Amino acid sequence: MSEREAPICDDSSVIGVDGDGQVLVAKVQTWARKNVVPLNAAIEITQRCNIRCLHCYNFDRDEPRDGCATQGGSAKPELSTEEILRVMGELRAAGCLFLMLTGGEILSHADLFVFLDRARELNFSVQLLTNATMLQPGVAARIASYENLQGVSVSLYGATPAVHDGVTQMPGSFRRTWDGIRRLRHLGLSVRLKFILMKQNAHEAEAMRAQADADGLPYLVDLTITSRHDGTNGSLSTRLAASTVEDLYRGPLRDLGVKEGFEPTDASWACNCARGNVAITARGDVQPCISVPLAAGNVREQSFAEIWASSPLFQRIRGLKIADYETCAPCDHKRYCHRSRGAAVTASGSYTGVDPFVCATAEIAHRLCDEAKAPAEPPPARARLAVIS
Amino acid sequence: MADETKSPSWRRDPSLPFQRMDEDAIVVDPRSRQVHLLNETGARIWELLETTTSVDEIAELLADEYEGATPEELRREVEAFVGDLGGKGLVLPRGRA
Repeated sequence: MSEREAPICDDSSVIGVDGDGQVLVAKVQTWARKNVVPLNAAIEITQRCNIRCLHCYNFDRDEPRDGCATQGGSAKPELSTEEILRVMGELRAAGCLFLMLTGGEILSHADLFVFLDRARELNFSVQLLTNATMLQPGVAARIASYENLQGVSVSLYGATPAVHDGVTQMPGSFRRTWDGIRRLRHLGLSVRLKFILMKQNAHEAEAMRAQADADGLPYLVDLTITSRHDGTNGSLSTRLAASTVEDLYRGPLRDLGVKEGFEPTDASWACNCARGNVAITARGDVQPCISVPLAAGNVREQSFAEIWASSPLFQRIRGLKIADYETCAPCDHKRYCHRSRGAAVTASGSYTGVDPFVCATAEIAHRLCDEAKAPAEPPPARARLAVIS
Repeated sequence: MADETKSPSWRRDPSLPFQRMDEDAIVVDPRSRQVHLLNETGARIWELLETTTSVDEIAELLADEYEGATPEELRREVEAFVGDLGGKGLVLPRGRA
């Protein structure tokens, strides 16, 4: 399988590796995918969070329900510290190298540093996903002391306090997030931003990119808001209208969104889910990816190795071909599609289903690419005649 | 037990992330933002460096496992390889290990 046929989704890309290192990372990712080794794992250490983002995919933070079950998964209490430590050992034994700790907000967990200690003992390369608002100087310094910390990913929802704080519903969060980012960078850590674009902040997309560029920070841009894993869909009220996506693709996101890919093969269409990528939710459900709320099993009931090797869900995902994606297979927009399995599952209930928003986005990218390729309009006849005469 | 007069002893940096890939191994160094790929022999040496080990000891162990190289050739190869790892900060000399 060539590297071109083995794309790694943005969320499982490795932060803080330079130049040739990325080539080697791609090589090892391809090896993991081919050999079905869970090289990349995310552990959601808690769903507790100190902010209440409008678009949060975990659960409705304004009106939390009891338990937040993944499809086919559990509505049990969150994993204990001991359970998470055990799972970390099981992941390492199964071949995991790149471990992402995510939430909720990871700094809401009292034992974050217990997990980081264990990750260092186990020789994990660690990435953290945080909103950075709780990174006081002492906390940031303690985090930076871990030699195996590869990088920190921070989500941002605006270029101004009013917009960002409006999304997080926490006054002061914009300032605190940027303070945290700057502390981490001052300590020499690699930081990557993730911009989630929605109705509330689309008008600041260009300014958000400019801010990151000015600070020399790498970033990802994500337009896909999904319904929540608790089954509610209030988050979708923040989702961009298709007309706004088109405006963004014609304007500030043209270089990112309007790209023609290659015609997918069965190998390239299959993402890293359940091959080189796995996630453990705060309640112990084992998912193909943290954004795909389908449970292959639960680490309280089975060992991770057993779930990874024999879960019917994972085996089915590993055997899928393009033809199994009934809507996608005949679609003309596949070369332009940033297919998200998480969006497909939350919108359709099926791993092979589709999210109409993603489909609309691919159609827009396709159309704009075609427009760009179309030959320039010939000058009006009169002008040509004038030249001849 | 290593003979300290014979050759320097080293230990891999215990904090570095690494993973075996079949015969090879990948070592990640977040501080330098670099990734290193070790071939089969390199991966075996990395394994042996889990505990403080001298170049001579590693060469002796490898001589039992790999045919076709003289002990002296192996020793020179190991010395160069471990020196390279040391230059990159991936292994620590005795005393710092």
